[in-house]
Amino acid sequence: MTAHIEIRNVSKRYGSLTVLDGLSLTIKANEFIVFLGPSGCGKSTLLRMIAGLDSVDDGTISINGERIDNLPPGQRDIAMVFQSYALYPHMTVADNMAFGLRNISLPAEVISARVAEAARMLEIGHLLERKPGQLSGGQRQRVAIGRAIVKEPKAFLFDEPLSNLDAALRVRTRVELAQLRNRVRSTMIFVTHDQIEAMTLADRIVVMNNRKIEQIGTPMEIYSRPASRFVATFVGSPTMNFLPIGLSGENGFARARLPDGTELQTAIRLDGINGSEHSLGIRAEAVKLANGTAATTTGKVEVIERLGDRTLLYTRLEGGSVIIAEDVGNSRVAIGDEVALALDGARTHLFDAEGRAWHNEGVGHG
Amino acid sequence: MSSTSSGIVGRSTGDRIILILVIVLALIMMAPIAWVIALSLKDNKELMTDMNSVFHAPYTINNYINILATSSVFRWILNSLIVSGGLTVMTLILSSLAGYGFARLNFPFRNALFIIVLLGLAVPEQAVLIARHQLFSWLKFHNTYHGLILPGLAAPFGVFLMTQYFRAIPKELDEAALLDNASRFKIFWKVLLPLTIPAQATLGIFTFLSSWNDYFWPLISGTKKEMYTLTIGIASTQTNFAQSEGLGFLMSQAVFAGAPILILYLFFQKYIVTAVSGAAVR
Repeated sequence: MTAHIEIRNVSKRYGSLTVLDGLSLTIKANEFIVFLGPSGCGKSTLLRMIAGLDSVDDGTISINGERIDNLPPGQRDIAMVFQSYALYPHMTVADNMAFGLRNISLPAEVISARVAEAARMLEIGHLLERKPGQLSGGQRQRVAIGRAIVKEPKAFLFDEPLSNLDAALRVRTRVELAQLRNRVRSTMIFVTHDQIEAMTLADRIVVMNNRKIEQIGTPMEIYSRPASRFVATFVGSPTMNFLPIGLSGENGFARARLPDGTELQTAIRLDGINGSEHSLGIRAEAVKLANGTAATTTGKVEVIERLGDRTLLYTRLEGGSVIIAEDVGNSRVAIGDEVALALDGARTHLFDAEGRAWHNEGVGHG
Repeated sequence: MSSTSSGIVGRSTGDRIILILVIVLALIMMAPIAWVIALSLKDNKELMTDMNSVFHAPYTINNYINILATSSVFRWILNSLIVSGGLTVMTLILSSLAGYGFARLNFPFRNALFIIVLLGLAVPEQAVLIARHQLFSWLKFHNTYHGLILPGLAAPFGVFLMTQYFRAIPKELDEAALLDNASRFKIFWKVLLPLTIPAQATLGIFTFLSSWNDYFWPLISGTKKEMYTLTIGIASTQTNFAQSEGLGFLMSQAVFAGAPILILYLFFQKYIVTAVSGAAVR
């Protein structure tokens, strides 16, 4: 049985410092949900509150309709993989995995079978008699996951489990986690500050900032329709371009006047837009090199980043703003070149001074 | 060890100088011990007439036989073992529990209590001796094993050492064990305590050594011959002119009293070196 988790108006305070403030969230059964946000946003605290490692000051947490925030961690039927793995150094891999099962007095043959099955699934059968100190980082990571799997919990919690791995191993483990998720059908909550991990693993992402949830959505919703300027900035690489604009209207749609004076027609409905000091958001892939009449504006290339499959051009516009444009992998543009850029008005976003966002269907997420 | 097997050849000049200095220092440190052992193997009368006889035969083990012939010596060894062993075991238990408490549990006045415990390090035994003597006398604890053991149980150094050691263990281990349905005692016993074995070994060795060598309190509390510890018992056998008439016997007593410590050192050499070097680094 997997967990349907309801978090209602949850707050957490340390003395006078509020870490989470009236936060509500529903996590569906079997869902892979990722808490994404910068350091200190409260994502790990929320995870630890679900696990029972931190108390809940206000609000409730329920699993399948039963309140669990008043239960000790061991009785919540939840398993957690820690950032540091937290393997018991003096126990063998097998004992690490069996420890939790022995504590609930499962029969020895059941424990052996579960450990063997998890070891087979994670390909760590040959490591069972070793101690954590004799394992590599990746192997320890697998053991930590194995320790969680053998418990057959209602929900798995992952607290930045990939952050201690080197880049190559992180990518490989990410793929393996995705595969594991298909084999172990269970609710999974994954905390990370790495947007690529969030985008590649999640069914839904919960973007958190400054003690609150900024947006909940599928990876593509988060990417293409960010609810706030923070989300637009935090998700996506390179980060979204922001240009200060003057706002006008034409046929009910917003028209942006860029810093160099050129006008750009957007597909954002004008009637829902309010606030002041608007800026235009546009991702690099919507800014291409252009020639002749297709050009929206021009600028001088200051930095070139060659990523293999594409090239990023950091271009200074006449008004002084810098915009990142995308070109093909074997771009012939050189630093110092004057280039004409075409901005795709249909793929723009508007933000006001408070960070509220409007997208091309005129729906405000502020 | 592999580097020493290659000897002094192939080393840099600086290394050679340091090695020679270390050897010289080791010889200086070992000289009194070798001297004591050599004296203990000589006949007392021979030493009275010619001290140089220590450098040549004949040697004898008569002094050791004489110690063993003392009727109470095995009782004193047993007393020392009970007192030192009991004190060591109980100190380890209490210091571990207290260290865990100070490191992991939240309770009112925790920091203040910890400071009070540490202040115990600054109080010399002599300062509390009379009060303790009177208390133990009133409780009729003198000439009992618990009378010899109890004062040593107040071990601020042990509490401090274990607290610091528990603090150094990542809290994620406690949390992982909590999620693994372990009780608090099980976390202490099965997860954390095994990780403190190096600290336990250090504390155990230091406690045993200091208790075995202790002279002051056993002299006051154990006044009956059958309650003497080895150090007190052996000292009680000395005659007025022991240092002239019975020098060999005196030295054999010293060796005899120190032998268990030497054996202990040989068994736990690794931990003692780690403990001492660790203390130096800190």
